[in-house]
Amino acid sequence: MKLSTYEPDALPPGARSLSYGVFCWLNRHVTVLRALGALLRRWPAIGGRFGLVARASAVKDVLMRTRSFSNTAHAANMVSGDYLIGMDPGPTYSADRDLVHARLAALDVPADSDVEAQRRIKALRGRGAAGFDLIDEYLMWVVFRAMRPLFGAATGAVVAGSVTDASKGDVDEDLQRQYMLEIRYVAGQLLAGSLATLDLRRRAEACGDALQARIDRVTGTIGAAWGVKSSSADIERNAVGLAWISHPVTVQSGALVVQELLGRQKVYDELWSLADKLGEPAVWADPEFRKIVRNHVLELMRFRPIFPLLARDVPRDTEMTTGARQNAGCPGGGKVSLLSIAALFDSRVVPQSGRYCPDRDWGNEDALRYLMFGYGYRQCPARDYAVEILTSALIGLLTLPRLQLARGEGKAIAYDGPLMLCMRMRTT
Amino acid sequence: MLEIVRQQMICIVAPGWTGGAEVSKQLHDALDALLDDVAMVHFASIGLLPALAGAPNQQPVLVLELAVEEGFRPYDLLYRLVYHHDGAMWALFGSMVAPGVAVPTAKDKQQLLSQLMSWHSIADGGFVGARDRSVRQIKMESDLLEQTRIEARKLKPKYGNDRTAFALALARWAYTNPRFGWAATPAPRSYWRGKGASIGAKLAYPVAAIVLWFVVLGIVWTLPRAYNWFFGEPGHVGRAIEDAVTKTSECLLTISWHGLLAFAVIAFLVWLFLVPLPAQFVSWRRWLNSVQQELDRPTDTLSSLATYAGGWIIGVPLLLAIAACAIAYTFAPLAYALAPDYMHTVIEPKLPKLTGLQITGIAVVAIAAVLGIGTLFYWLNRYFTGLSKKFFHPLEEDVPRAQQIHPSVERCEADLVGGTQHMFSLTELRGPQWWSAWCIRQALRIVTFAGRVFFTQGWLGNAPGIHFGHWHIIDNGRRFLFCSNYDGNFGGYLDDFINGAAVGTTLAWRWTELHPRAPALEGQPGIAKARSFPPTRFVIFRGVKCELRFKSYARDSMLPHLYRFDACNRTVDQINLATGLRDALFGERNEKNDDLIMRAIET
Repeated sequence: MKLSTYEPDALPPGARSLSYGVFCWLNRHVTVLRALGALLRRWPAIGGRFGLVARASAVKDVLMRTRSFSNTAHAANMVSGDYLIGMDPGPTYSADRDLVHARLAALDVPADSDVEAQRRIKALRGRGAAGFDLIDEYLMWVVFRAMRPLFGAATGAVVAGSVTDASKGDVDEDLQRQYMLEIRYVAGQLLAGSLATLDLRRRAEACGDALQARIDRVTGTIGAAWGVKSSSADIERNAVGLAWISHPVTVQSGALVVQELLGRQKVYDELWSLADKLGEPAVWADPEFRKIVRNHVLELMRFRPIFPLLARDVPRDTEMTTGARQNAGCPGGGKVSLLSIAALFDSRVVPQSGRYCPDRDWGNEDALRYLMFGYGYRQCPARDYAVEILTSALIGLLTLPRLQLARGEGKAIAYDGPLMLCMRMRTT
Repeated sequence: MLEIVRQQMICIVAPGWTGGAEVSKQLHDALDALLDDVAMVHFASIGLLPALAGAPNQQPVLVLELAVEEGFRPYDLLYRLVYHHDGAMWALFGSMVAPGVAVPTAKDKQQLLSQLMSWHSIADGGFVGARDRSVRQIKMESDLLEQTRIEARKLKPKYGNDRTAFALALARWAYTNPRFGWAATPAPRSYWRGKGASIGAKLAYPVAAIVLWFVVLGIVWTLPRAYNWFFGEPGHVGRAIEDAVTKTSECLLTISWHGLLAFAVIAFLVWLFLVPLPAQFVSWRRWLNSVQQELDRPTDTLSSLATYAGGWIIGVPLLLAIAACAIAYTFAPLAYALAPDYMHTVIEPKLPKLTGLQITGIAVVAIAAVLGIGTLFYWLNRYFTGLSKKFFHPLEEDVPRAQQIHPSVERCEADLVGGTQHMFSLTELRGPQWWSAWCIRQALRIVTFAGRVFFTQGWLGNAPGIHFGHWHIIDNGRRFLFCSNYDGNFGGYLDDFINGAAVGTTLAWRWTELHPRAPALEGQPGIAKARSFPPTRFVIFRGVKCELRFKSYARDSMLPHLYRFDACNRTVDQINLATGLRDALFGERNEKNDDLIMRAIET
């Protein structure tokens, strides 16, 4: 079990708030990152000097060279212990990866996400014109329901944090909400957590400790539910990792997708009209409509990826291609940064990259379409499940009367560091 | 920056306590288990305050003091405690939130959390001795210290007095022990204890702020000119704007220069009077010491009264005159900008026209005169010893009685012998309370700032052994709560304050007094007779130097604790020693580190 022993802030007062503030601002204003990416794509040698790559070919190259550019860059941001995303390939990595694939195979997506989306939409519709919080009252429940099979019969115990109160975790929504808030802050650290201000880091560490303690108490139940005979440390590591990475990242992606969609009124109107024409229950059953929505989800994610910037450790001296005439040197012990958002808009490989075009023919570059999930061997194993869950969530929202951000009652979107804390919506 | 310190020390002040004057064994154990498990709380204590006079609810007030690691926002801390699976917080506060609910639901816990947030008070000021260390780090470093001592006992016969070889052998042992892999990285240090420890780094902030201010003024002054250069001569409106911007920025620039110069002159004078002159002239040093001693003197001798009166007659007008001159010089450009004719025709003729040489001469004569007066008094003291003795003869100390310690407080202190001691002190704010509260807050900001930026090695001024000392203004500014976790014993602790941090302590407590109050519950101390904080002179002098009165005052204000938690049970010195050993064992091999290792194992 990883024990958090905090490190005091060694930067001058104000420096961390400033740098983290800039990072969060950039994360929210991806247009600026895209502009910066365009410059670095044009003059890749400049980026190379600072360990930055922006061209699609260069980003793919770095992501494919997993030995030279290591995922351990994430490790500093993982407050509740090591997990797949921050490991180097090896026996532990392979065993954990197999386990994750086995757990993901248990998901019944999109059936579960459809059911929960319908249930939640029905409840929201019953409230009439009153506003609602997209994250707290919709997305996190849809994702939670879809991902319940990850812990199988142990879900209740994980939520309640106790074997004796397992049934309570299945029925008490407040307990479930508490669990989901806890994992949200742990996941939030994945976005430049080591740069975060001390109070955010400490909150994430406290939540990480609480999550580990919670899982520690029910490791046996989880092992039984999974049907594995691994050591309790292995089960705990995987259970903790699965808990914090699966749910919050998908929820945040969903919020970003909706935010982007609402910013494109014409696209939203078209989709909404299509859904309205089909009506219920056809919107849920029509495969063609689902495919259209799925394409929109992917295109919206291209414009608002949850990780517009990625980092990789450089374990030993190497070079990387940036697209410039000469390769950029990467000294061992350093880091490189990948502007994945710039790669997604690289007109060399993405035709009409600046245009919103869900039906784009990606040709040989279809894999690049999923760059927000990583690339190559280290791509997120839950990629397709996440897209399906978000598709269900979006279909559900399209069946509601027209939506808009609930402005006028304070800010509609509240941020907490780089995370969206709430996104208040209302129907019109 | 100060909030991060203040948030480390929290008091939950919960009115309406219906329980008794003891914490049950079961609750005691549950709280211990909770605080041990979360491993973020250094110290915790529970006490009972008597209800506020005139409050509708006359039941006692429960206080839970929490001294925690750095960086936690109160909400996150309380969230972790309330939602912990063992439910100890509910066992303590549940009856005050939802009576009769034994097993809380998540909604009940949320209600408790909201209630605790409304009851919580972060410190208005505080000091943390063993900075930059988490509970886990202290425990791990203590373990390293213990294990190193055990290993040293084994190696002692082999290496004897060869300190270098002995230290090297211990370092090798530590390096090869996988249990101490964590110690290979140097102990973390915050900015003010690390890169910002030097005076240069500390001065960088005000210097940067001043430079930035002048740069901004320069840019504002340049903007209209740059505009004209780009777009040609402006029209009427443009010219008016340019004039306004130019005049305002030039005026602000001159005011800033004048203010900076005035500040520099005053700083130079203060430095001259307090540093080089005392260093060069014994008589000057003695005079300064004598003034301080007389102002601090607890008894009303003729000498102390004379010094006090001299301060009012000479010192205060002199300081006010200097301040007035500085202000007048600083804001003169504003007066010239607003009323130039009046300044030229009325004020200027009244100002003496002095050359630089004349001003310097006056300054030299003034200093010589002050030196002469000091020397004269020094000679008088020396040659008229009888008169001097009579002059300095102390009067009787006006202390109505010796210290009476309530048995409950004595029992608490006895329970903690051998460990870290604890103190709750409750006083009332002097009237007008808003003024006292404001003054205390300002004073505490200064103390907290000094503790955070300057006193980074575990000592507050010259007072050692303080783990967490914090002050809270509670009950809407009517009462003042002081909580402290310290090493040693109460008498020694107060002596440290009296001798080592007198100014800070006087500043923190001088606006308080003790009103008669009934005990919170039977067996708890009350106050029979109203008392005042010992009288002070010029805000910062005397006060705590009236030792007996101050100790008696502090004793009378004390309340016992019902529960006490100490996560590490180590003194500040032991904590510092263990951290030093970690850095020395895993640092480079040199004389300093070898010596530190030897001292650590021999202490």
